[in-house]
Amino acid sequence: MHGIKRQQYSREILKQKRIQDQQKIKTYKDLTHSALDTRDKGIFTTDALQLTSKILELNPEFNTIWNYRRDIILTVTNDVKPDFWENELQFTMEKLKRFPKVYWIWNHRIWVLDNYPNATDKIWLRELFVVDKLLSMDARNYHGWHYRRLIVKKLESINGKLMDKEELKYVTTIINKNISNYSAWHQRVQLITNIFNKHELNKKEMKDMVLSEISYITNAIYTDADDQSVWFYTNWFIANDIVRLVLTNDEYIKMLKDIKDNVILINNDDVEFSGKENNWCLKILIVIEKTLKEAGYELDKDEHTEEYLKKLIDNDPQRRNRYIYLSTKQ
Amino acid sequence: MTELTLLRDKHIKYIESLDNKKDDYEYWLSEHLRLNGVYWGLTALCIMDSKDTFKKDEVIEFVMSCWDLKRGGFGPFPRHDSHLLTTLSAVQILATYDSLSVLEKDDKLELCVQFIVGNQLPDGSFQGDRFGEVDTRFVYTALNALSILGKLTPEVVDPAVQYILKCYNFDGGFGLFPGAESHAAQAFTCLGALKIANRLDALTASQIEETGWWLSERQLPDGGLNGRPSKLPDVCYSWWVLSSLAIIGKLDWIDYEGLKEFILEAQDDVKGGISDRPNNEVDVYHTIFGLAGLSLMGFYDLIPIDPTYCMPTSVTATFKKYPYIGK
Repeated sequence: MHGIKRQQYSREILKQKRIQDQQKIKTYKDLTHSALDTRDKGIFTTDALQLTSKILELNPEFNTIWNYRRDIILTVTNDVKPDFWENELQFTMEKLKRFPKVYWIWNHRIWVLDNYPNATDKIWLRELFVVDKLLSMDARNYHGWHYRRLIVKKLESINGKLMDKEELKYVTTIINKNISNYSAWHQRVQLITNIFNKHELNKKEMKDMVLSEISYITNAIYTDADDQSVWFYTNWFIANDIVRLVLTNDEYIKMLKDIKDNVILINNDDVEFSGKENNWCLKILIVIEKTLKEAGYELDKDEHTEEYLKKLIDNDPQRRNRYIYLSTKQ
Repeated sequence: MTELTLLRDKHIKYIESLDNKKDDYEYWLSEHLRLNGVYWGLTALCIMDSKDTFKKDEVIEFVMSCWDLKRGGFGPFPRHDSHLLTTLSAVQILATYDSLSVLEKDDKLELCVQFIVGNQLPDGSFQGDRFGEVDTRFVYTALNALSILGKLTPEVVDPAVQYILKCYNFDGGFGLFPGAESHAAQAFTCLGALKIANRLDALTASQIEETGWWLSERQLPDGGLNGRPSKLPDVCYSWWVLSSLAIIGKLDWIDYEGLKEFILEAQDDVKGGISDRPNNEVDVYHTIFGLAGLSLMGFYDLIPIDPTYCMPTSVTATFKKYPYIGK
């Protein structure tokens, strides 16, 4: 059970609850037995479908009943009314609204779409709006993001057209709404990687994109220097193949030094403001120094990794053993 | 303030009481998790050195009553359909009782292996059952169960490993699907699968360091662990994160004392059991994963737990290690 407040029932309340539960248990068990008996008799009819609806209404996690429902649908599919599949989507939507984290419901919805007769791109495009809506209610819903990727992939294959650039606009909007949305930053990595790997841009566009990404990151770290989303993204961005390919080595070193200067500035601001260094700044400075060295840049006296690690051992004691490990590797 | 301690006896009583709740509506609504629940309860009891609290014969009888005659494998409850998740729980329970031999009757072992292997897809991934849901959880579940049964083969393992590697992310974490966001529970399933396949070497040392970094950042100032950045802490991640760190040999990259306090505060000091967070309702799922976390960190002389299998190390030591050498 997740997020349910603990209650200690008194004997009296427990007695009351048990009395109320008796009827509910009877109804539920009768329905369940009836459905499983019908299934075992090999009955796959619209009446049996109604029975599964009733049970799933009470328990949307009953996957055996979802399975029976799908077997019924496959059997009656030629005899159903035209609006049957729309109703089935509606049925799962009602459930998803109430239980947005139940795997079985998401799974059933995808199955319905995959089996929807003569599904055009319109059906899948509408699904993109549906998932928009669901993500606007919970912008980190793990299932929702996974679902979105599946829908986009499907649309891309139906229309023979990549959607990475449009999707990048979407995640930018989401990040601009809330810079701590790690799911959106994650998706940003996927999309930018796709755009480059699938050669969706010409040389100049690629360079423009990398340069605008650098300023996007810089803005983001100034906006919230305590949030790990943007730092993990930065950690990826500064050392990934795309940036290395698009920038000359001199440009690459300049980019790293610019980011480094900005991170040092942010950290100094924190020291001035709160008297404490910003642990994330220190963690990323270590990565930047390492990356600079790998790019052939001599840090010499400007190298402070050892000092940063010492500070982190004291300032971030939960993870001190990681910093000790990194020190011994120096 | 009184110092917190592990309420071992209360937790044992709580787990023992779980099957006496047939007057509660919730008991029936959770039929679909019953076999998993038995595995969680039994393993929790094992960790507290109280395995005999459950009656072995009754448990095995229940497990066998969940066998799916039509498709092989095990469902969560009699007459329910088999699924990889519940098939693993069944195999784990039988192994914990050193009773895998019950599968020899009526070719169940062979049928069980067929059920698992039959759900592997051409790209190496696994679907949970015939309806096509794909998730790295199912790769782990399949490899784990086959490993316990001593039935791994390169034909199954090699593509599965390739699939897992596709789920490795830019931040060092793993997702449920290629391209899906990193999630601590998925780190456990992916690292566990690689460990069972004896293929952790498919990741470079620096990839593993990134994994360790991302996992260590799951610890929040209150000591608890979350499953993804900017999410609330939850006791179950005491297992998903810690076991992952243990598998890559970086268990001490988080603070034990802080996490211990967080788990202990989530105990119900009246009826026993552990919840997701302090003051929430307890359940057997969070109880086992809280206890397993404490065991991994070496607190309270709990029985050692294997981070790859989430079973007592005394049991997993008997498993045939893959790749099988000789015959």
